[in-house]
Amino acid sequence: MNALGVGLPPDASIDAGRLDVVLHDALFAVSAIFLGCLAVLLVALVRHGRRHTAAAESGATAGKMLRSAGVALGLLGIVDGALFVNALRHPTGALADFAEADKLPGVVRIELNAHQWAWDARYAGADGVFGTADDVTSLNRIVVPEGAPVLVELAATDVIHSFFVPALRLKRDAVPGRIGTVSFTATTTGTFEIACAQLCGVNHYKMRGELEVVSPSEYATWLARGSDLATRGYDPDDKSAHWAWPWMAAR
Amino acid sequence: MIAGSFFSRYIVSTDHKTVGKQYLWAGLVFLALGGFLAMLLRWQLAFPGARVPLVGGLLFPESGGALSPDVYAKVFTTHGLVMIFFAITPVLIGAFGNFVVPLQIGARDMAFPRLNAASFWILVASQLLALASFLAPLGTASAGWTSYPPLSTNVGTPGWGQSVMVLALLVNGFSTVLGGVNLITTVIRLRAPGMGWLRLPATTWGMFLTSILNVTFVPVLGSAALLLLLDRHLGTQFFIAGASARAGGGDPIAYQHLFWIFGHPEVYILILPAWGVVTDIVSFFSRKPAFAYPLTVGAMIAVTALSGLVYGHHMFVAGLGPMLGQAFMALTLVISIPSAVIALNWLQTIWRGSVRLDSPMLYALGVIIVFGMGGLTGVLLGDLSLDVYLHDTMFVVGHFHLIMASATFLASFAAIHFWFPKLFARRLDENLARAHFSSSLVLLILVFGGQMLAGYSGQPRRLFDPYQYEFLKPLLPLNRWTSYAAFALATAQLLFVWNVVRAFWRGARETDPNPWRVGTLEWTCAPTPVPVENFAEVPQVQRGPHAFDAALQASLGRDFLGQAELVSEAKPQSVGVK
Ligand code: HEM
Ligand SMILES: [Cu+2]
Ligand SMILES: [Cu+2]
Repeated sequence: MNALGVGLPPDASIDAGRLDVVLHDALFAVSAIFLGCLAVLLVALVRHGRRHTAAAESGATAGKMLRSAGVALGLLGIVDGALFVNALRHPTGALADFAEADKLPGVVRIELNAHQWAWDARYAGADGVFGTADDVTSLNRIVVPEGAPVLVELAATDVIHSFFVPALRLKRDAVPGRIGTVSFTATTTGTFEIACAQLCGVNHYKMRGELEVVSPSEYATWLARGSDLATRGYDPDDKSAHWAWPWMAAR
Repeated sequence: MIAGSFFSRYIVSTDHKTVGKQYLWAGLVFLALGGFLAMLLRWQLAFPGARVPLVGGLLFPESGGALSPDVYAKVFTTHGLVMIFFAITPVLIGAFGNFVVPLQIGARDMAFPRLNAASFWILVASQLLALASFLAPLGTASAGWTSYPPLSTNVGTPGWGQSVMVLALLVNGFSTVLGGVNLITTVIRLRAPGMGWLRLPATTWGMFLTSILNVTFVPVLGSAALLLLLDRHLGTQFFIAGASARAGGGDPIAYQHLFWIFGHPEVYILILPAWGVVTDIVSFFSRKPAFAYPLTVGAMIAVTALSGLVYGHHMFVAGLGPMLGQAFMALTLVISIPSAVIALNWLQTIWRGSVRLDSPMLYALGVIIVFGMGGLTGVLLGDLSLDVYLHDTMFVVGHFHLIMASATFLASFAAIHFWFPKLFARRLDENLARAHFSSSLVLLILVFGGQMLAGYSGQPRRLFDPYQYEFLKPLLPLNRWTSYAAFALATAQLLFVWNVVRAFWRGARETDPNPWRVGTLEWTCAPTPVPVENFAEVPQVQRGPHAFDAALQASLGRDFLGQAELVSEAKPQSVGVK
């Protein structure tokens, strides 16, 4: 952090640090290309100004065209190729390999329903099934254990929202009528902010939530206690509290 | 009598040059409006909740002169729409496509002159509709320029302001498509004898390819707009899902596909004319043929062809399947290569040239710099895993402004300064132009560089008050400095306004038909001011647009040949050179 406040948010997941490296490498590569070209331009402007006699060139020979195409392919081909391979090798495939991640041992499943202007989270509770009396629910706050893979199923009630956790470098839209999925593994305990990244109405800017990463034992305690409280306070007639959906892997 | 002639010469005229000027003024007025809205945004990001100086009390009395969250959403929505559809497109494509293309290809007018005038008046109708939306009881559109449903349906944005704005886009689309059909026909059918495809100036190529994109993709936006209007008013549910849907509803993501099939080509629609103008100007003011010109043209064609195939990168986090995401990523990264070819060709045109830093060239060099910055940062966003972090942050906003706002903005000024003598038979002042150019370039980079830094630090876009988030509180100083730069940028535009006013008021008359000493037909075959029907006789084109050769100096006393000049008859003065 510096006087202007510029800097990446803290990184709190196994993906975040890795992504930062790629981001910085890519920034470095494109800056180098840019500065190289800028230097050529400046040299040309200084050396080949009004007093310089323009070189006689026909403008278009096959050799020149090949050279330009070759340099472009060389410079950007390398950056593009590296970025492409990197994205394919994304270790947990936060957006892609959801089905795979669901098989990991110790996985934590969360249903997250976004609506104007809050995040409703739901855990399956002690019985491991969503939509039952012992479900743990939580408003604008997600609690996850450090080191365990977390799967989030995302939905929205009214308009599109977007689940953005800067400290995880993770973002996924919550779209009405669909269930979206993301996965992450938090590696640092602490509280991190959740932002809504998709314009969702006048209070879009206030749709703030918190991600709390705690030790596995604290998490177990929290979940057990929540499950217990939920069971005791369960009201079968409270229809608005029954928003769970069947977990994808079970469908 | 005088009023009558003013009316027939400037209002109902179908002459392509008059229509071009009409587009220019209509676009510049809306550019000022869009710029004013941008200042409101930057004020709010720097001084959240504070009373807007000067105009606040007048515009927002109900919130004590400050912006409210609702007004902020209306302002960024209309800023984006006004800039893209009602300002930059009319200036870059409407004005210069109209004015320059027939002259450059040796035509007497557009293929359909009356349709041309009609396109302009349809544009005005759409601009008036956009303004009318501000009068709606619940105010104008506020769902972002992208107008994603369900937010843009009655679920999120009731009231007729949003509907009238969508209607304005629909009407605007008619204007654009009719203008595009006209331009395409003109270039295909009305080229002077000898004007082969590779002898077309790059500006004409840019306008031609842009028109193809417009005619292909604007109707897709039109269809999305129409379906959205049906959802808003006739109870259909093409794009409504979730709690407000009846019996299953539709699919909000379908709208995003329609929108971005248009929306991504739109950025190329804006940049292709800029590329064309810069390619020509760089060659003209380096006194050297455009380097590897056929390759530049080929690269522009390649970009045009690819532009409809990359749109999925706007939807990486909306739920594309992994295969689709990776395919769109690959195509997005591929499109960077022809773009790089074009830029490298500019550099090699300048290299070993005899560069004149006249105002059009300065603006063109500015385009090269900001386009380089914007294009290269786009490569990062093309990478799926990086975009997952950067999507919908100010990084994206900074990136696309470097291209859509800075490159097209500077290219518009390059075009204005280059063709001003031909358009108005007047001269702009070079010192004022230099001051306007240098301040604008530096400030554009500071403003949009500042926005990229904010996005890199995680600041989401479209936030009324980013400082609601703890992790964004430290960014207040950065956002303030960015805003100061933006206010200075707006102030610097007065240099341009003054330059234009001065030119008409007491500027020197331009009697030289070819002050820049270049060979394209508008400078070498048409007098200044250009009469109706342009040419005394239709030129017979002999060669390409960039025929520079320093060796001619010895025999001709100049270093270029006119496109329609016969070498056997070439004399120092034979192409309008004094
Ligand atoms: C020249 C000075 C300009 C400044 C200082 C400026 C500034 C801004 C700011 C602060 C935002 C809102 C960021 C946010 O809160 O999300 C914005 C959005 C936008 N601007 Fe500009 N802008 C300028 C010119 C332009 C131009 C020339 C164009 C188009 C060609 C343009 C197109 C857009 C678009 C499309 C958006 C997004 C609107 C939305 O989120 O729906 N801007 N601009
Ligand atoms: Cu939201
Ligand atoms: Cu939101």
